[in-house]
Amino acid sequence: MASMIMASSKTLIPITSSLPSKPRLQQQIPQISLPKIPTPKFLNSPQILSLSSSTLKSISLLTVTSLSFAPPSLAEEIEKAALFDFNLTLPIMMAQFLLLMFALDKIYFTPLGNFMDERDAAIKEKLASVKDTSTEVKELEEQAAAIMRAARAEISAALNKMKKETQLEVEEKLAEGRKKVEVELQEALANLEKQKEETIKSLDSQIAALSQEIVKKVLPL
Amino acid sequence: MNGISCSINALNGLYDISGVEVGQHLYWQIGGFQVHAQVLITSWVVIAILLGSAIIAVRNPQTIPTDGQNFFEYVLEFIRDVSKTQIGEEYGPWVPFIGTMFLFIFVSNWSGALLPWKIIQLPHGELAAPTNDINTTVALALLTSVAYFYAGLSKKGLGYFSKYIQPTPILLPINVLEDFTKPLSLSFRLFGNILADELVVVVLVSLVPSVVPIPVMFLGLFTSGIQALIFATLAAAYIGESMEGHH
Repeated sequence: MASMIMASSKTLIPITSSLPSKPRLQQQIPQISLPKIPTPKFLNSPQILSLSSSTLKSISLLTVTSLSFAPPSLAEEIEKAALFDFNLTLPIMMAQFLLLMFALDKIYFTPLGNFMDERDAAIKEKLASVKDTSTEVKELEEQAAAIMRAARAEISAALNKMKKETQLEVEEKLAEGRKKVEVELQEALANLEKQKEETIKSLDSQIAALSQEIVKKVLPL
Repeated sequence: MNGISCSINALNGLYDISGVEVGQHLYWQIGGFQVHAQVLITSWVVIAILLGSAIIAVRNPQTIPTDGQNFFEYVLEFIRDVSKTQIGEEYGPWVPFIGTMFLFIFVSNWSGALLPWKIIQLPHGELAAPTNDINTTVALALLTSVAYFYAGLSKKGLGYFSKYIQPTPILLPINVLEDFTKPLSLSFRLFGNILADELVVVVLVSLVPSVVPIPVMFLGLFTSGIQALIFATLAAAYIGESMEGHH
């Protein structure tokens, strides 16, 4: 099938390029109805050129009358339509594609792919290291907690010490104060006693004088 | 007879209006062989676009990607994803092949739809997407065939050919036939889709010059992308299929 199409299309090229115009008109006609059947091959062969001019004329007349309404431009369009025209373009495209593949591999796929892979690896490494530091962070937190605990213990110990010292001082001072007060009290009491005795003595003497006066006044002599 | 002539006349008028040039080629002679110059020219443009943008975007890769690099990284991840799902864990060496296949077909298809090729007049034929030509698609499909044969042979050695009689030897002809239908279907699918898409757009533009062709153009862009993805995915699937072991 493919070879047939190729064969038919290959015959199309010399038709347009090499043959004179009069047989060309004849060859257009079978191709309107059946463009892919290799009948033009038969017409294309040099036998038709060796035919007598009368038969050629009759053939041309017949074809022209039978398809006189067919516009030549349309016929030409279809005649030249070489859709399945395989030629050197195919291997050239192959070579171009391979070259493009190697070039793109060199400047795009390999460098950028490696770059992306390296970046992925680096990011993964960083992520893993971050996970490792989380244990470090825990240790550090524990250390900090221990330090805090120690500090608190120290502070409370210092506080207790301070409290005790100040209590002792306060007690000492209290005791001193009490002693002073007692001493002063006793002094004051002693003074009071003295004054009491003195006043009592003075009162005694006064009482004697007064009683003598009273006796004198009451008992007239 | 009259009806036929009328329809042919109408068709002719259509051709005159639209100027559809199907299967016309600008021929160059290279050492006695003919090539389709318009296909080669557009493919060079596509290759230049691919290489140029890749060089600009990937020239100096940053850890935090910039816009162009970000896009190319996304494309590469997409290609890797496609290759990985189709080929499996050993997809690494096939990424350049699958990726180039996808990018080349994709940029080719979209260049046919987006780049104003028609501005440049050629003496014969017209510029269009390189995938518009059967030579390009067959070349890519044959390369895919070579690639999956190479993949199977390098993985399993001559034991690769035992897959032809794998379930039963009765299936030998069908298995052999598959090796022909694979490139055939690959190439004709791409060729037919792109050619039909461009033809539909051209004919619609000739019939209704405004507004109406726009949805079809968008559909064409969509089809172009899908076709590139299908081609790359199938190529990867064939490679993966020939590499996976029948235990």
